[in-house]
Amino acid sequence: MYSIVSTAIVRGIESIPIRVEADVTDGMPVFEMVGFLSAEVREARERVRTALKNCGYRLPPKRITINLSPAYVRKCGSSFDLPVAVAVLAAMGIIPKDRLEQLLIVGEVGLDGRIKPIHGVLPIVTKAAQERMDACMVPVENAKEAALVKGIRLFGVNTLEEVIKGFNDEIKFWEPEKEEIGHEKKVKRKEVPDFSEINGQQFVKRACEIAVSGRHNLLMIGPPGAGKTMIARRIPGILPEMTEDEALEVTKIYSVRGLLTESEAWMAERPFRNPHHTITPQGLAGGGMVPGPGEISLAHHGVLFLDELAEFRRETLEILRQPMEEHCVKLARLAGNYEFPSDFMLVAAMNPCRCGYYPDLNRCHCTKGMVEQYLKKISQPLLDRIDICVETKRVEYQDLIKENPHQETSAEIRKRVVAAMERQQQRFAGTNIRYNSRIPAALLTKYCRLSTKQKQYMESIYQKLELTARSYHRILRVARTIADMDGSDEILTRHLSEAVCYRNVDKKFWEG
Amino acid sequence: MKYKYWLACMAQMAENIGTGKVEKLFRFAGSAGVLYDMSEKEFMQIPGITEADVKSVLTYKKAWNLEEAWENLKRSGLYLVTREDENYPKRLLYINKPPYGIFYKGSLPPEDKKSIAIVGARRCSEYGRYYAKHLAELAVKAGCIIISGLAAGIDGAAHSGAMAAEGETYAVMGCGADYCYPRQNQSLYQTMTQKGGILSEYMPQTKPLGKLFPQRNRLISGLSDVVVVIEAKERSGSLITADFALEQGKDIYALPGRVGDVLSGGCNRLIRQGAGIIVSPEEWFKDLEIDLANIVVSNAFSKKVLEKDEGVVYSVLDLQPKSAQQILEETKLPVDRMCEILLTLENAGFIKEVYKNYYIKIHE
Repeated sequence: MYSIVSTAIVRGIESIPIRVEADVTDGMPVFEMVGFLSAEVREARERVRTALKNCGYRLPPKRITINLSPAYVRKCGSSFDLPVAVAVLAAMGIIPKDRLEQLLIVGEVGLDGRIKPIHGVLPIVTKAAQERMDACMVPVENAKEAALVKGIRLFGVNTLEEVIKGFNDEIKFWEPEKEEIGHEKKVKRKEVPDFSEINGQQFVKRACEIAVSGRHNLLMIGPPGAGKTMIARRIPGILPEMTEDEALEVTKIYSVRGLLTESEAWMAERPFRNPHHTITPQGLAGGGMVPGPGEISLAHHGVLFLDELAEFRRETLEILRQPMEEHCVKLARLAGNYEFPSDFMLVAAMNPCRCGYYPDLNRCHCTKGMVEQYLKKISQPLLDRIDICVETKRVEYQDLIKENPHQETSAEIRKRVVAAMERQQQRFAGTNIRYNSRIPAALLTKYCRLSTKQKQYMESIYQKLELTARSYHRILRVARTIADMDGSDEILTRHLSEAVCYRNVDKKFWEG
Repeated sequence: MKYKYWLACMAQMAENIGTGKVEKLFRFAGSAGVLYDMSEKEFMQIPGITEADVKSVLTYKKAWNLEEAWENLKRSGLYLVTREDENYPKRLLYINKPPYGIFYKGSLPPEDKKSIAIVGARRCSEYGRYYAKHLAELAVKAGCIIISGLAAGIDGAAHSGAMAAEGETYAVMGCGADYCYPRQNQSLYQTMTQKGGILSEYMPQTKPLGKLFPQRNRLISGLSDVVVVIEAKERSGSLITADFALEQGKDIYALPGRVGDVLSGGCNRLIRQGAGIIVSPEEWFKDLEIDLANIVVSNAFSKKVLEKDEGVVYSVLDLQPKSAQQILEETKLPVDRMCEILLTLENAGFIKEVYKNYYIKIHE
């Protein structure tokens, strides 16, 4: 007797369809699994055998062969338990085979027959819907996540017994209700910290607004206790809300990493990730034998906050270069190439020196050489990808206790950000540029045109401040964003001068 | 000349022989040549020289290859001036333990010009850096020369101030005069070999060792008529220079700092102990009896040329770096306006960004 069950595995954040074939014939009693399996897939045999026994089904003393095809794809993960069990039962004639057509099954099985959740349900179900399957059978815990996908029926199952009974029409499968993206938002909005909680600090706040409006990367330099982390946490709150596609993409990544919970089955808010500076390159970019998404992918469409930038290992930071250019991470492995999206906004913070108090010489005990050494830890190529750099001042006690009648809320700032972004979208309509920060150097003369007066102004600044070509380009991009926020088509002198104030510290400056 | 070189290196090379004993030897013999040819018996007659010293001198003499050493000196490109020479700096003759020989690059400080030493902390604030430079510039314009130690911070600022006014400036090194220490002052070093000079009592190729620096400070004060201390902590090398200056009877001035300012602690104490106080450059020059009347101060700046808002921003700045956020709070201007003004002022040379978004004013 022979049967086929459809299932799938996750590769990167995409899914690959897999077919589980089971054959039960006379011969030496043996349970064999083939098809380029990793250890955890091979173990499915023991789990399935025991689970079936505990549900009251003994495997017949026959030769049982399971094949997972296509054979050239390496199978890994625990999602094959349930499809294997169903395939065996179908081959034994316990489940009617015709019910398995156009049905995709995933799930891990416990020894007691309970069905456990797996990682990456969302990409699997999405793919199944694209392939026009009729239905998906997923563990109950994953049902909410799977319900985000439209155009496919879903069965949430809890135990193996339930599966068998369901297929034999003794009971009806439980079908979860479809989730609406945006639905949950109306019900309860996750507590996002608000900019109105920060007293003063207008300078940094303004820089944040500009950075977000043009999706520029941001570096904050300031002493300990200047509220750098506090500010960074509030940045996702002024980014425009994610579109449905964006939210789905982010949710997929979290699904693959298994970071979705039942109560929070999908990512309603833009992610904010702040990995500790001891993180490894693999942890940041993604990796492992079977590569999974790293922090930069988890920050997709959100904010990646690197606190104490100078304390990160150099090779860890260097990894950021390619993803920041291409907005995705490409990992090559023996089993194939993996690609994870990583379109994030980088927000970094660092102290001005090792002790953190430079240039307050009464408190700073670093020599000039030490300050330079500290600043040099950040490589120039990374700095070249950061458009805005801003000082943060230590918060004085008076500022802390001052009752400020009105501080702008994140919602107010967000409104302006959205307006500035709309201007950008109009300007870049028909191109693949989305934000000012992504204007290629070759097109700067087109999008950031300066009048004669402004050109003269920039020339004198260029000479006076000994700018480099790269920093000049960054200033133009930022000035474009400031002009957009101002509602101006032309870049004016005041836009340029503000952009110059936010210019990044370059090599010359480091050596200051 | 070969003998002179031999004697000039003795303080450093012979065991237990220091500048003081070299002085005794030289005074007795009168010239290096005579000394070189003296016998052990003759050496013993020199007052204050023990048997051990004689042995040490003779060992040194044996080990020293006159010809080879002389070739080395020529190759190093350094000049040597000794007590036997006419052009030995006269000012040094009156200090305790004058070095027998001085190695130098460039030229020696002229005797007829007023010589001002400006010394201070390596790790200095913009306030100190500014005044070191400013005072040096004015002094040079008034016809003085500037002596310092080529260290980072105040010393370097004093040298570069003198250079900016195209004056002569001299550095006394704590290492060989052919060795630029610290490296970062390479360009100052190069310029000084053209206009001014690099001086050292230590033989060529001497590495900068911590123990050599306090001793060279006596030469900085010795070569000058007036010593100015800018930004010295309560314990610092600059105060050693001030002590030497006191011993040598030079005028000492200190630039005051705020009470509680660690960097100016030493300066303020000097003032307490009776050092001259620099209240303003003009008054200081009056004290020194230097006429500033003919000097064109390149301060063609007046607040009148500033717009109202520009004046507001300018007036909240001083020589202590102030952050953009603080300027914003004090001026109550909108961010974009403040940025515009800061840049205009910086472009016009009124203010300077010394660290990321920290500004100081650079004109009085």
